[in-house]
Amino acid sequence: MKNLINKFLISISLIFFMTGCDEYVDYEASENYQIVAADYFKSANDYEAALVGVYDVLQWTLYNFMIGEIASDNSLCGGESASDVIGLQKIDDMIHDPVNDQLKRIWQYMYEGVNRSNYMVENKDKIDFPRKNELYGEVHFLRAFFYFELVKIYGDVPLFTNGRLTAGDSGTLKRVSKADVYSVIESDLQTAIGALPAKKSLDGRATSFTAHALLGKVYLYQEKFSEAANILEPLVGLYTLPADPGSVFLVEGENGPESVFEIQHSKESNGWNWGWMPQGTEGNFSVIHHGIRGYNGPVYSSGWSFNVPTQDLVDAFDSGDKRKNASVLDIVAWADANSAQYNEGYEHTGYFNNKYIPRAGYSKNTTELNYENNYRYIRYADVLLMAAEANNRGGISDSKAQSYLNQVRSRAGVSSVNETGSALTQAIWDERRLEFAGEGHRFFDLVRTGQAANEISGFVAGKHEVFPIPQTEIDISGLTQNPGY
Amino acid sequence: MKRQIFNFLLLLGFYTMTAQSGTITGSVTDSNNNDALPGVNVIVKTTTNGTNTDFNGNFSLDNVKTGDVLVFSYLGYKTLEYSVSDSFNISISLEEDVEALEQVVVLGYVSQKASNISGAVSTVGADDVDKIKPVRMEDALQGLPGVNMFSNGSPGSKPTVIIRGITSYTGNDPLVIVDGISQSLDDMNSLEPSDIETISVLKDASTTALYGVKGGNGVIVITTKNGSRNQEAKFTFNTSYGQQSPEKTIGVLNASEYAAILNEMSLSSGGGLIFSDLSNLGEGTDWQKEIFRIDAPIITNNLSVSGGSNNTSYFISAGFTGQEGIIYGGDKQYFDRSTFRANFNTDLSSKLNMQISNRYTNIKDSGLGDIIFNALNMSPTTPVYADDGSYAISNTITQEIKNPMAQIANSYGEGNTNSISGKFELQYDLLKDLKITSRLGYTYVNIKSKGFNPYQFYGVGHNATNANADLTPITSTDADGNVTQTWNSVNENSTSYFNYTYDINANYNFSIDDHNLSVFAGFQIAKNTGGAVYGSKVGVPFNSWTYADLSSATGPQDEETTGSWQFVGRSVSMIARAEYDFNEKYLASVTVRRDGSTSFGENNKFGIFPSASLGWVASNEDFFNSNAINFLKIRASYGTVGNDNASSQFGTITTFPKYTFGGNIITGSALDGIPNLDVSWENQVQANVGFDLRMFDSKVSLTVDYFKKTVDDLLFNPTLSLYLGTPNYPSANIGKTETSGIDVNLGYKTDSSKDISFATNISFTTADNLVKEIANGDKYIWGAGYGIPYNNLVRFQEGESPGIFWGYLADGIFQNQSEVDSHATQPNAQPGDIRFVDVNGDGVVNADDRTKIGDPFADFSIGWNLNLNVYNFDLSVTTYGTFGNDIFRGFERNLNYTNKPVTVLARWTGEGTSNFEPRATFVDSNNNVRPSTRYVEDGSYFKIKNVQLGYNFNVSNSKNLDAVRLYLQGKNLMTFTDYTGYDPEMSYGVLDTGIDRGNYPSPRTVSVGLNVKF
Repeated sequence: MKNLINKFLISISLIFFMTGCDEYVDYEASENYQIVAADYFKSANDYEAALVGVYDVLQWTLYNFMIGEIASDNSLCGGESASDVIGLQKIDDMIHDPVNDQLKRIWQYMYEGVNRSNYMVENKDKIDFPRKNELYGEVHFLRAFFYFELVKIYGDVPLFTNGRLTAGDSGTLKRVSKADVYSVIESDLQTAIGALPAKKSLDGRATSFTAHALLGKVYLYQEKFSEAANILEPLVGLYTLPADPGSVFLVEGENGPESVFEIQHSKESNGWNWGWMPQGTEGNFSVIHHGIRGYNGPVYSSGWSFNVPTQDLVDAFDSGDKRKNASVLDIVAWADANSAQYNEGYEHTGYFNNKYIPRAGYSKNTTELNYENNYRYIRYADVLLMAAEANNRGGISDSKAQSYLNQVRSRAGVSSVNETGSALTQAIWDERRLEFAGEGHRFFDLVRTGQAANEISGFVAGKHEVFPIPQTEIDISGLTQNPGY
Repeated sequence: MKRQIFNFLLLLGFYTMTAQSGTITGSVTDSNNNDALPGVNVIVKTTTNGTNTDFNGNFSLDNVKTGDVLVFSYLGYKTLEYSVSDSFNISISLEEDVEALEQVVVLGYVSQKASNISGAVSTVGADDVDKIKPVRMEDALQGLPGVNMFSNGSPGSKPTVIIRGITSYTGNDPLVIVDGISQSLDDMNSLEPSDIETISVLKDASTTALYGVKGGNGVIVITTKNGSRNQEAKFTFNTSYGQQSPEKTIGVLNASEYAAILNEMSLSSGGGLIFSDLSNLGEGTDWQKEIFRIDAPIITNNLSVSGGSNNTSYFISAGFTGQEGIIYGGDKQYFDRSTFRANFNTDLSSKLNMQISNRYTNIKDSGLGDIIFNALNMSPTTPVYADDGSYAISNTITQEIKNPMAQIANSYGEGNTNSISGKFELQYDLLKDLKITSRLGYTYVNIKSKGFNPYQFYGVGHNATNANADLTPITSTDADGNVTQTWNSVNENSTSYFNYTYDINANYNFSIDDHNLSVFAGFQIAKNTGGAVYGSKVGVPFNSWTYADLSSATGPQDEETTGSWQFVGRSVSMIARAEYDFNEKYLASVTVRRDGSTSFGENNKFGIFPSASLGWVASNEDFFNSNAINFLKIRASYGTVGNDNASSQFGTITTFPKYTFGGNIITGSALDGIPNLDVSWENQVQANVGFDLRMFDSKVSLTVDYFKKTVDDLLFNPTLSLYLGTPNYPSANIGKTETSGIDVNLGYKTDSSKDISFATNISFTTADNLVKEIANGDKYIWGAGYGIPYNNLVRFQEGESPGIFWGYLADGIFQNQSEVDSHATQPNAQPGDIRFVDVNGDGVVNADDRTKIGDPFADFSIGWNLNLNVYNFDLSVTTYGTFGNDIFRGFERNLNYTNKPVTVLARWTGEGTSNFEPRATFVDSNNNVRPSTRYVEDGSYFKIKNVQLGYNFNVSNSKNLDAVRLYLQGKNLMTFTDYTGYDPEMSYGVLDTGIDRGNYPSPRTVSVGLNVKF
């Protein structure tokens, strides 16, 4: 017995010391089936998947476009009450400050997009594969998109292009001038134009035309009119305007003949999560915000009554303008005609955003979070009106400008304009409001064209052109704040 | 050796002169008062022939010869040897052993006589646990010097336990060792407290260094009961029944008040009357009354048997605890625990001892969500039920806040936890005084849970609504005629943990003259694994909990979800300790442990944790001559321990990102985790000095300890620049903390007569915590917050105590426009709004003016308890209080139509009307609800935690019964506090302390119980 025990103890001790106990605590993440970054980017599939990850961030842009309306004269914040999504309420009232959850999310999400793009740039040279050049065209297009959203909303922002930031980079970057950021955006888009095919392989992918259109917009924001006119010119005639402007915003109209770039959504995902929006869904989380409160009736579904159009916007449409009903739902008239019921939310105007409104059947699963409406980021009408503006303001050709403008007006069923010069400029600007009502461009157009202080009550010139840098970022990174905040 | 030979010869001699043999009888008494001593172990030396004295102290032992040596041993008395001579009927009196009365303190790997310890340890015995009869053992730790324990009223929930302050941002839970097996506080819901023999709380480095990298937050060492050798089977049966109720309710508006205030708020913001007629509203619905019950039952039963033969002892117990919550209770909120334990100890040979102990626990439980939050915020004008008998909805509160009774009715869930834990241990006496121990310990936990989310309706468009008012699914048809619908759903989750440790160690004790040395060396490997699989399906038949199961759900396949996760961790350790004393006068110990773990970064796999302690028992010196002082020991220790809160860090890729191309969802990828190869444990240096004093015939005892802990490589997930995007950034060792404090324990006990005894004890605990450095650029980390929309509140900030509240300083109410104008620019402020202090004096009130507005941790805490025995009655009282801690009231939703606290009745309505409560308005343009001192209250409290009054029946005439005791017990009987919420004692995470988001109050429990021993 004693011998047996001794042998037992000795052998156990030997086993552990001989097998080397120190290796016992070596560990690899793959032990838990996690994909280790060091093992990634070893096949073309990895690159394609990572690119999908970059596109993914496009779906988190709802607040970018909601503030484009809510901050403007087009709509009021709405919602349930004055305290419902306080960040948006304050923006509506032009009393927003640096502590604003929505502005913080936009900032962080757009930088996640930049970082995901940069992560691909960083790993570019690991392997070669046939679609690599084209794939990187998409990467550069997307990075330009994210940086453009950042400069548009915040002005000067931190800029980095070589790779994904790591923890050690926290707090080290400073804001750089808008011009420097724009030059990276321009060069990224030129790269994309060079690398991307003209024809899209699948709905949702960026093409060289998409990059042309975005670059045109980027030039226009910088008032580089001749560059804008040149880059947009090749697109004229490549797309068409469907006769019914409302149909473009139905699911049937998605990725249609007018579509230049759309952020794609689907109602099919079921990984939604209330606590993790908008990242958790493939759906368009903005749509539920625009819904009719407590609605019970045909065609539409109930929602949260945010971003409600103002009477001022409705009055801006000519009575014969087909875009009026396409853009704005007159709920009083609708309810009467269809014996529907609804509740009035906060700042009820009687109108709802008819372009991105919850429609019955457009969502599945947790219906609030999963609306499949694509966001139309650039439509052909935008290309035409941008080209018109560039030709007019750049002094290149008012007749071209008139022609482009009148194509848009003609589809809307309103008369042509013959103005020239600054009257034409104003006509183009006014047309943009009507054409893109509810699409999130208005505030940025007003700022870009210097009209904001006149059109938006509470707008303080020299302050509200850009939004405040999130307080958290000021606190952590020591960035300078925008003036006035 | 010489002596053994002599004994042998002596024995031989006796054999040769055998004169008489037979049955010896006798009685054993206490030398002090001549009381009979029952249960004294009587054994013939060097044989296995033995017995125990009966209840009257009498014994009878066969086969005893003249010359045999009888050994009488009894806990707390000096062992006596008696050589049998002519008389075969003897009277023995045993002398009390003052030193032996002191417990042997279990430090885990080793045990040490309390008087020889030079570290800092607090202990709790089985008697103390009995006086509290807790559902979880942690309750018995409340009020120990150096320990802070806060519990939450939710049945079975894990409390907060802090030993000697907060040194860390990421982990402050102490390590728990049960019978040598590593566990955590999370496992303590499975431990039946009445199985506990002792609890030792190791506080200083010289004792916690035995646990190296896991010892930094203190160690709770628990041993469970075992039987005694040569003891007949003893049965103990305990049963109790109690009822629980909330101690108080919170003042919110009744329907009439609510309507009046809402009208005012609407008018003041330019709207119309909301309630045109207030006369019929009355009190409306008191939601708190609806959700709380005052008779929630709690039942405990347990039965144990212990005993032993001359080479074996055993303890077997079975217990059941059933507790319903004070919120509704029933099948919605309960905690039912069944435990079974078998501890077995036997000598396989004279040198080899085997110990097997096993515990099996089953827990069935169910909890409820934020019912209290909804009850406090739901409008009182909404009835519980609508006219048609369904749950009523509010027409004005159309999101977030729900009818809490409907919410309860729609809550379905159950958890079923099965766990087994135990050890298999062999102890082998390799040489005299050299013992080898081999121990395999394991814990297996499986938690199966199921939840059911039925069709529910809280109003059209409410974000918790997923059905029409008649609970049919909401369907919609798109232009192509495709019908989509909402679903009810069921989810199931199976989570398992399996941990094992294998220890092999050696313990050698030897003495040379007055030098006593005890040396311990050990080696340990440990592995922790865990994982879960889970899934959900839609389309539960009949919208019924009865049919809620993955197997029965009939919804479409594309609505199913599944998932899993797993982890594995391993460690290897070597431990060595030497304890030395010279004549129990000069004491010293040295401990060193080397730990390696998979949790640490590649560049920092191993850590070494040394410590040492010194002690001087001054009262054992010859020159020490004091009648008043019976015992005086002065102690000091110093060493390092770790905090095992790191996790191995790798750059990992997540495949969660997706995008839609061509109408199809395509799975993508993104970088998810960023590695830090240097990450390591937190290294903590702790110094401790203290003394133990006993005076006046040991009636008065005083223990005082001062400690200081510093951490130079604090580990946390830094809040990084937002421009890094949204991945998980790694934790890093980038901070410093310092904690110091005093633990004091003062006790008094006296036995004024045989029938009356009195003992009382008061403990005093302080811990000053300071964050010395946070090297992440911004010098702080946001911790917990509250509310919708979410407000950051808690900061872990350089130069401050950890976990302070951060916000604005409210400075009264603007009484008129000129006060607004003369104050620093406070955007959109009007008369009646709160004036916030322009802390930095830059003329603008903005985010830069936020400052420390409260500290949730107490300046000091006090535990006081009392034990009194008068004839057959016994009374025990325990109390606990903390002083100087703040609470942030975070349970007000502040939507226009949500209910308000009664304080709004004293609102500002014009110049001079209030300087505390701002005007009531729908448009809070001044953001009066921002985190500010408006919501910070003094959370100091003193609670009568537990009172137990027992009566011991006289059973001396009974053949079968050893003891019968009936008792009445009250828990949380009274709280003295200024705090206006339910309960100032709250438990969340350590750095989530003091935010009341609708905290589940500890119930007041009144119960009656019976203990029987036979």
